Amino acid sequence: MNKKILVVEDESSLQDAMREFLLAEKFAVVVASDGEMALKLAKSEKPDLILLDIILPKKNGFDVLIELKADNVMKKIPIILLTNLESADDVDRAFSLGVSTYLVKANYKLEEIVEKIKEMLKI
Amino acid sequence: MEVINDFDLKKQADELGVSVWKTPSFLLIVMGVIIIVAMTAIYFISRKYDQPEILMGVESAVVVIILIIGNSIIRQVDGMARLNKLKTEFVSVASHQLRTPLSAIRWETELLLSKFGCGLNEKQCKSIETINTLATRMTRLVNDLLDVTRIDQGRLILRKEKVNMAEVVDEITESLLLLVKAKKLHLTVNKKNKKTLVMADKDKIKLVIENLLSNSIKYTADNGKIDINLIVRDGFLVFAIRDNGVGIPKEQQAQVFSKFFRSDNAVKYQTEGTGLGLYIAKNIVEQSGGRIWFQSIEEVGSDFSFSLPLA
Repeated sequence: MNKKILVVEDESSLQDAMREFLLAEKFAVVVASDGEMALKLAKSEKPDLILLDIILPKKNGFDVLIELKADNVMKKIPIILLTNLESADDVDRAFSLGVSTYLVKANYKLEEIVEKIKEMLKI
Repeated sequence: MEVINDFDLKKQADELGVSVWKTPSFLLIVMGVIIIVAMTAIYFISRKYDQPEILMGVESAVVVIILIIGNSIIRQVDGMARLNKLKTEFVSVASHQLRTPLSAIRWETELLLSKFGCGLNEKQCKSIETINTLATRMTRLVNDLLDVTRIDQGRLILRKEKVNMAEVVDEITESLLLLVKAKKLHLTVNKKNKKTLVMADKDKIKLVIENLLSNSIKYTADNGKIDINLIVRDGFLVFAIRDNGVGIPKEQQAQVFSKFFRSDNAVKYQTEGTGLGLYIAKNIVEQSGGRIWFQSIEEVGSDFSFSLPLA
């Protein structure tokens, strides 16, 4: 079975690029463009991994993270924070909330992000 | 002297990005000095003239002076705080708003090249590759400018983590291998040394090494030589890179680590470059508890080294 990735991203161009690349890499992809939708889909779709942005409409990435980690089932889903914010405060906050990987979008190729995903899912 | 040390004018000035005499503490000290002078004056005047009107007049004058200075201090601090907030906001807006479209350009072109490339001819692929390379270059420029802003504001915050320098060196040499090959450079990496763990911010140290190596690549002619060494010395790990490139003219060596500096021969040799790389590198290394230095002879080559505390 293909592994399912939940992409949480409000910028449509980035969303498209990520979805297409992941599909081409044989992942199943679900996309959420705001924080509330992300939580809803994380619950109903049971993704194997979540790519999470921080600046999001309705509910920001940190709030989504807190709610995910408070849920007994969803807290086990590995999360990669994928954002263009990189202040030390943001990074520290993300790690203290249980994020395993923090990537700055501008500094990574899609190929490198997929490598990280594969590494985390051990495939 | 105690008081001045407590106030730490230099640190304040660095944080606010102003010269020392504009810092709140300095103005406070000036105010204190004026009060003392004024009080002494009042004392002598009151001894000479036994008239309450004169005394009153002088005292009111002192009060007015103190109020004016106090007010100007408050205004200064307020203005600086506002300016600082604006700068910080600019940094965060720029980092997000500028980098998002740049990420989109890079990712879309990457997608085209690696997944949807079928049907494109060689020339079309080449154009897309160029767009991708340029967007990457622009991202790097935005990153550099953001780092410089952070350094200037004293807001460059580095994480402390255990970093395996041997791994970092491998990652970077691999990522720049195409450029090395394109110029047929002979790159050797000597890291026989087993102790290569240092305490530093991995991403930022990668940036330092990338800057040094890409400089060597840029400023060394085809078929040239670049040697990288990792050496342990007195509790520090030293990263040293030597090339037989264009070198830096002696009279310009003192400015090498200044912001926006590019040596005359460098500009002639390679027009691309901002002169920010070494300025950023120096700040990152020094803030990590290390040192950066170099030796260079024009037309012979350069030898750049930096040290970081071992973990």
